[in-house]
Amino acid sequence: MVERRRSPWDPLPGLGLWLFASFACTLALWLLRDRLHQAHLALAYLLVVLGGSAREGRVVGLVMAVVCFLLFNFFLLQPLYSWTIEDPLDWWILVAFLITGTVAAQLLHRAQRAAALAEERAVEIQRLAREAEHVAALKEADRLKDALLATVSHDLRTPLTSIRATAAEIREDGHASAAIIEEEAERLNRLVTDLLDFSRIRAGALPVEAQLNTADDLIGAALDRVKGLVGVEERVDVRLPAEATLMVGRFDFVQSLRALVNLLENALVYSRPGSRVELELELDGDELVFAVRDRGPGVPEKELSRLFEPFHRGEDARSKPGTGLGLAIAQEVARAQGGSVVYRPRSGGGSVFELRLPAAEAPGLS
Amino acid sequence: MRSLASMPGIALVVDDEPHIRRALRNSLAPDFDRVLEAGTASEAVDLAAAQRPDVIVLDLALPDRPGQWVCAEIRKWSTVPIIVLSAQHAETEKIRLLDEGADDYVTKPFSPQELRARVRAHLRRARLSERPVDEAVVTAGDLAIDLAARTVRRGGESVHLTPTEWDLLRAFLRDAGKTLTHQQLFRAVWATSGGDPQQYLRVYVANLRRKLEPDAVRPRLIITEPGVGYRFETDG
Repeated sequence: MVERRRSPWDPLPGLGLWLFASFACTLALWLLRDRLHQAHLALAYLLVVLGGSAREGRVVGLVMAVVCFLLFNFFLLQPLYSWTIEDPLDWWILVAFLITGTVAAQLLHRAQRAAALAEERAVEIQRLAREAEHVAALKEADRLKDALLATVSHDLRTPLTSIRATAAEIREDGHASAAIIEEEAERLNRLVTDLLDFSRIRAGALPVEAQLNTADDLIGAALDRVKGLVGVEERVDVRLPAEATLMVGRFDFVQSLRALVNLLENALVYSRPGSRVELELELDGDELVFAVRDRGPGVPEKELSRLFEPFHRGEDARSKPGTGLGLAIAQEVARAQGGSVVYRPRSGGGSVFELRLPAAEAPGLS
Repeated sequence: MRSLASMPGIALVVDDEPHIRRALRNSLAPDFDRVLEAGTASEAVDLAAAQRPDVIVLDLALPDRPGQWVCAEIRKWSTVPIIVLSAQHAETEKIRLLDEGADDYVTKPFSPQELRARVRAHLRRARLSERPVDEAVVTAGDLAIDLAARTVRRGGESVHLTPTEWDLLRAFLRDAGKTLTHQQLFRAVWATSGGDPQQYLRVYVANLRRKLEPDAVRPRLIITEPGVGYRFETDG
């Protein structure tokens, strides 16, 4: 909420009204001047000053104090209708009036400001309380969502197992179209797995255990997984470093496998059917780099910033199977063990996705 | 134990879900004379004791007792191959099961072909295991491994293995077809000598693969079971 800052000159239109009030007051006092004591006169003017101050603020209050001082002096103090003052006591009365009026206007102003501030704070406290309530509600919703996802994921697997097995049976009985049921069951299963993994990552519950592992083993297991993917043909050319040394890293095997399989699967799904995908292993400083290169459409410039965003799917991706979680999961699991997933366009067209994992010294063995 | 000539025998499937039991029964039926079904842990142990099945397919989530209990009970008196059905992301559970005596696991939702292939491999292994492995000359692909003479020939060429690689290969062959956990392999190779830290096991496996496999990143003999261990496939 934006509030316009009050200018000290805002109350000027109100000033006219209070000037009129001071003249009316002077007229009334002038008519009654014989029956009133000077202290009564001063009190009446003080009321006008306080009224102006309370309604219109400090500036009007101060102006009214001066105006009333002058009116008091001119119309009501001897000698009348002159600015001169004969009785030194009248001087005291006038100066006391001016000081009282000014101080009262200032005090009133401060009190009003303090009240306004207190009100603002009360509003702010209420807002914060509402926000805190909102955050607590969001946290609870998040926890419920994770619990729900975990339960749903588990409970979906049991019927999926029956569906898949039964479809296989029907297919083996000679109904080729049952293969579609098998494929769709497998797709559902992978969707469930992705959602479950992602909810675990979000909850910080991903088990990560970095151990000494070989790059050979990770590549072998990833190719084996890719081979088992329904509807994906393994068309990967592996390029290992020319020298025969074994490359070793310190990473979590299961999680890194997940990341590498996701990158390989993406490359195979998005590149032209029949085209080859390259998986090259190299050592870059203290990192093992598994570079996955394809000749697919690449990633458009405007998609780059959202490439690793969960559930985000580029325009080209919408016609392909998937959840939009593959890259987000790959990135998160790589980061969880001190690695990363990096994208760059491939020269000549296509994409390069690199899985970078911490390298380690290969031990000398007996 | 039955002879190889009378291959079919009895299979026992244990799962509390009738649909899954039915699917398991149907996919195993062509390979067996009889497929028995149990829906609870105690029923499974009773049936296994009474009927002496040749293979058991065991789900872990049973209503009365955990699948681990079934596995431990049966292992007290039988070496029958036990193949566990487990959920994904359950590496720790799989390892515990294998350490407790299960032979292998298949992840849900499994493909019936894969399950059948695993079951067949374990039956074969169980029926061959009467032969002492040290006397056997094992052939796998273009490999001929003579454990007694400690020689390996690949396509007629002699392959040199270090003593630790020999011990590792022997451990693999002793339980060929069975999924061995990292811990089981380590115990089998280094138990008596102490030796290298356990994590070097993976490096030894990679070196052994480079010597034995035609393509080390597409292994057909030493198969990685991610997060669990390795399996040696003699049919590779």
